[in-house]
Amino acid sequence: MTVAAPAARETGLAIRVHNLRKQYGETRAVDGISFEVRSGEVFGLLGPNGAGKTTTVEILEGLRAADSGEAMVLGIDANRNPETLKPRIGVALQTASLYPKLTVTEVLDLFRSFYGRRGHSTGELIERFDLTEKRTSQTRELSGGQRQRLVVALALVNDPELVFLDEPTTGLDPAARRSLWEVVLDLKRQGRTILLTTHYMEEAEVLCDRLAIMDHGRFLESGTVKELVGRHFQERAVRFDRIHGLADASLAAIDGVVSVAHENGEVVLYTRDVPRAIDGLLAAAGAAGTEPENLTIRRPTLEDVFLALTGRALRD
Amino acid sequence: MQALLQLTIANIRSFVRDRAAMFWTLVFPLIFILMFGAIFTGGGTSTRVFAWVDGDGSAASAELRAAFAELDNVELRDATEAGGLDAMRQGDLRAVIVVPAGYGAAVAAAARAPGPPVAITVYTDPTQQNQSADTFRFVQTVLGRINLEVSGRGPAVVPEARAVQTESLTFISYLVPSILGMSLMQLGVFAAIPLVADREKLILKRLSATPLRRWQLVGSNVLMRLLIGIVQTLIIVTVGALAFDVQISGNVLLVAALVVLGSLSFISLGYVIASFARTEDAANGMTSVVQFPLMFLSGTFFPIDEMPEVLRGIARVLPLTYLSDALRQVMVGGTPFSPLWLDFAVLGLFLAICFAISARFFRWT
Ligand SMILES: Nc1ncnc2c1ncn2[C@@H]1O[C@H](COP(=O)(O)OP(=O)(O)O)[C@@H](O)[C@H]1O
Ligand SMILES: [Mg+2]
Repeated sequence: MTVAAPAARETGLAIRVHNLRKQYGETRAVDGISFEVRSGEVFGLLGPNGAGKTTTVEILEGLRAADSGEAMVLGIDANRNPETLKPRIGVALQTASLYPKLTVTEVLDLFRSFYGRRGHSTGELIERFDLTEKRTSQTRELSGGQRQRLVVALALVNDPELVFLDEPTTGLDPAARRSLWEVVLDLKRQGRTILLTTHYMEEAEVLCDRLAIMDHGRFLESGTVKELVGRHFQERAVRFDRIHGLADASLAAIDGVVSVAHENGEVVLYTRDVPRAIDGLLAAAGAAGTEPENLTIRRPTLEDVFLALTGRALRD
Repeated sequence: MQALLQLTIANIRSFVRDRAAMFWTLVFPLIFILMFGAIFTGGGTSTRVFAWVDGDGSAASAELRAAFAELDNVELRDATEAGGLDAMRQGDLRAVIVVPAGYGAAVAAAARAPGPPVAITVYTDPTQQNQSADTFRFVQTVLGRINLEVSGRGPAVVPEARAVQTESLTFISYLVPSILGMSLMQLGVFAAIPLVADREKLILKRLSATPLRRWQLVGSNVLMRLLIGIVQTLIIVTVGALAFDVQISGNVLLVAALVVLGSLSFISLGYVIASFARTEDAANGMTSVVQFPLMFLSGTFFPIDEMPEVLRGIARVLPLTYLSDALRQVMVGGTPFSPLWLDFAVLGLFLAICFAISARFFRWT
């Protein structure tokens, strides 16, 4: 079956955020961010735990009030008129939040009734999200992947033009994650607008048209994956296991090395001239009486962008 | 409307699939009724206790007394009419039988020639239908024999029924409305647990991301508990009537009004608990702390007047005292602990207070 895109889409902007702020005590969960999401686009918020992704998304869903700033969603002020907004968006919270003792069919039927039963039939959704075998199972009996598929299905019961997915694949095994990516890519093909958060770089690279890298409530960088990687890295990444007695300062002094970072016990040298950097590295290691182990050369990814921007790995 | 209905159905489904909830609301009260009922009504040989008022003092009246006394399962206590009626009102007797002055002479006359029959007055409590009917069957048996002996023609002696409102109830008819009150209390207080669980699981938050309104959410919760409260009432009343002969003598509409008002009051107490319990475990603990004193100190198992002074003071401030008192008054004509209007007023006030507290402190996330 096909889930057709809603016929009349507004052209232009689905989301406009300007100078948005939200503070909890001393914590600036969202610290003055601005961005726009175009209709039909998949926009990603990428950042580590505590970056402020959920806070941002839930303000846009009308679930939390911002302290200040503008949050326009589908032309509606999410702060002032959340009740006007809610029928038009689809929401998948970061935590599954399902009635444990209701079956898949019952939960879908229930949520459809909240929207006056417009949109897709329960049967269509069950088939589309590959839950046919589980349709009479209570939700507490579902696997992690099935739960997440149901959570996304629930975000689509009203056939919304804009869907929020907050870390939809966190905690899933790789197979379940890929199957959920297929679901999201399918939504994208239907022309729905999606705002997605994740702390998986690979996920952002596969799914997002554009993304913003977020940390401590702020945007460090935003653009397409290509732009982000290209803007920071004409360099390649040379990685090897940490060598004792070889200080960062002496690595940074190697001819051709632009910067040095650490990730999970590995040292990463960024360079535009790989042969020259490796020559220098071998020499420096030799001087310390050893040689680098597990030496690899990679094209940089978003992972490297984040590492370069924050000096730490995205996953701790 | 559709959403409200569907959510109510969803709540009922979750409830019915929760074994603990089903046990506490449907099985637990029945255990009480069946257990106490078996203990307090089983195997009595002297269940037919009658006061015997002999206003004649003749050989014939002594013969009549002997005819009653020789039957099994009957105990006669000689008394004055006033004394017998007092004892009956206090629940010590089932009936008072009065033999009028001139009985002996009338019977002797009837043996010679048929005349107007002489009436034996039998006081029973017609609200205790089965007991009352049993008494009359019994009296008829004895009088039938006497009549045969006397004349063999028309009846010489007939019973004349008089009604007495007994004030004191048999224990089981005291217990049935009490258990109903207790069950409605538990049903309401236990509303806190799934509510806190749903909040903890972020289900309430997920619902608030849909167009569902909060009044619909609360409304479906209350509706579901009211429906279950009605089912509970039907079960308890039916078991009371079938197993223990507890007859509901009162106004059905008044009973229904009390069931609804009582349920609403204690559901709102459940919301108060849910306003302060952060986790499902905390909600479990708090419902226990609230429900056990209510259960044992509100006159559920024996009348408040029989409790020690200190406990009586506590009972006086517990809302369940007033619900159970009103249910006993309305359902089985129990002795009022407080006037019915006051029972209603206390429950209404309690509902208003709980509602205000929940409205102020309840959190959805
Ligand atoms: N309701 C809240 N109360 C207090 N602090 C909060 C609350 N929600 C979020 N925070 C804090 O705000 C920061 C951002 O959190 P969050 O938006 O959940 O980040 P992310 O989704 O990127 O992991 C964190 O430091 C978090 O502890
Ligand atoms: Mg988050």
